[in-house]
Amino acid sequence: MMSPASAGKAEKLGYTNSKVFHDGLPAWKKAGNLVVSTAKYVKDNMDKEIPQILVDLRLVDEAKKEHITGAVSIPAKEISAAKDRLPADKKAPIVFYAADAKTAADAFKVVRGWGYTNTAILDGGIEAWKKAGNPLASGALKTTIVYVPKPRPGEIAIEEFKTVAEALPKDKLILDVRDEDEAMHGMLKGAKNISTQAIPGRLSEIPKDKEIIAHCVTGVRAEMAYLLLKEQGYKARFLNADIKIDKDGKYEITKE
Amino acid sequence: MTNGVAASYNVINYLTLKNPAFAGCTKGGRMVRKLAVLVTGLILLSGIVPLSSAVAQTEKPKIAPICKQCHTPDEKILRGVLGGISGKAKTIQVNIGAASWLAKWDDGTELVGAESFGKIPKEKEIAVHITEKDGALFVKKVSVKQPAKVPAEKLVKVEEVARLVELGVEKGNFLILDSRPAPRYHEGHIPTSISLYDADFDKLVDKLPKEKDRMLIFYCGGPT
Repeated sequence: MMSPASAGKAEKLGYTNSKVFHDGLPAWKKAGNLVVSTAKYVKDNMDKEIPQILVDLRLVDEAKKEHITGAVSIPAKEISAAKDRLPADKKAPIVFYAADAKTAADAFKVVRGWGYTNTAILDGGIEAWKKAGNPLASGALKTTIVYVPKPRPGEIAIEEFKTVAEALPKDKLILDVRDEDEAMHGMLKGAKNISTQAIPGRLSEIPKDKEIIAHCVTGVRAEMAYLLLKEQGYKARFLNADIKIDKDGKYEITKE
Repeated sequence: MTNGVAASYNVINYLTLKNPAFAGCTKGGRMVRKLAVLVTGLILLSGIVPLSSAVAQTEKPKIAPICKQCHTPDEKILRGVLGGISGKAKTIQVNIGAASWLAKWDDGTELVGAESFGKIPKEKEIAVHITEKDGALFVKKVSVKQPAKVPAEKLVKVEEVARLVELGVEKGNFLILDSRPAPRYHEGHIPTSISLYDADFDKLVDKLPKEKDRMLIFYCGGPT
C-alpha cells in the first residue's frame, strides 16, 4: 500500500497531522462521489486513439463557437433524458465539461447514478484545456455517442501472453516490473524482475535484441515500464490485465 | 511418477537414514511431497552435499533484499518468508529469494507474533534466529512480521473525506494527496487532491504545504 508509506514519510518530515484514507479511490468511487480527470488524461487518450466519451454540456450555440475536438453535445438540461444516448458498456470512460464545475458535477451525478463507473468531470473545464494549448474545434458538434472499446497501444493479447509464458521463446523476455518484495512471493517461470522505478538505472540488464513483455499486477506499472522502454528504443509490449502468481509460478489472468 | 520425483524420494530416504531429524516427514504423504520439493531445491542450490554441512553454507543469502530496508544482515538470523512448517518433524523452511533454508525447532523455541507455529501463514515474512546444534540448524526464536497497521486515529473514512472536500481545502485546513502513479491521478482523482506518487515522494516533497500542522490525507487505490 502506497498511502500509509507516504503518510509515514510525511511524518518523518515533521508533519504532525497526517491521515490515511485507506479505502482509497475504489471506496470513493463506489460511494458515487465526484471524480476529476485532467486535461492531460483526455489529451493522452486522443493522442493514443483510446476511445473516450467527451460531453460538452453547454448550450449548443456556445459550444458551436468553440469546443474540445471530438466532444459530443448534450446540453445540461437534456442530460437527465439522455440515458438512451449513452453506450451499453457501463465501464466506458465519460468526461463532462460545462461552463462551470457545478453544472458538470450535476451531470456527473445523474450519469453516475445510472451505473457508469468511469465517469468524471474535466479538471478546470475547457479553460484548463485551452490553457494547456490543446486542440479546439468550432462548428456543429456531434450529438450521437459512438463508443467502440479497443486495446491500448502496446497491449499484448492475453492469449499471446500465455503462449509466451509457456514457450518462453528466445526472442522475448518477460519482465516482472513489480517491486522486489512482491516478486519474492513468486514469479513467472523465466521472468526477470526489475521494478518500473528501477528500470532507468538498470537498462544494461535488459537485452536489446529481445522483445520485452512487461507485467505487474493490474497493468498500470507495466504500461509505465512499456513507455519507458519504448522511449529507450526497446521493442516492448505489456500485459494490461490483472495477474496473480503463486510461489510455484502458476498464474491466473483476469480482465475486468 | 516422473524420474525427478523418484529421485527426490531417494534423496529423502538418504536424508532420513542420515539424519533422524527428517524421520517424521516420511510418514505423511503430503509432507513427503513438500519435503521432496524442498530437498530438490536444496540440492539444486547447493549441489549434493551431506546435510551436516548445511550450516557451513555461507554462500546462501540469509536476508532477503527487501528486509535490508529495515534490518541489518545478521549471521544468526534468517530473514525471508515462511516456506513451510512441519509440526511432526518440527522443521521450518525459510525461503530467501530462490534459496531456502531448513531448520529444526522444539518446544523451547520462542515464538513472537503468532499464536502457534501452525498458525503462521505461508509466505509470511519471518525472522528466524538460528544456532548450530548437533551439526544441524536449530531455531531459537521465530518472529513473525506484524502488518504495517495504521493506527485507528490516523484512518479517515470516505464520509469524512467527502465532508472535507465539500468544505474546501482552505476552510477545512487540509490537503489530500494521491499516492498512486501519476497516470492514475490524471485518469481520475478525488476533487482538490494533488498528485504525489509514493515512489517519487522525495522528489515531489515541495508539493507539501509549509504549515507542518496542516492535515494531510493520503490515499491510493490498493495494489497496481
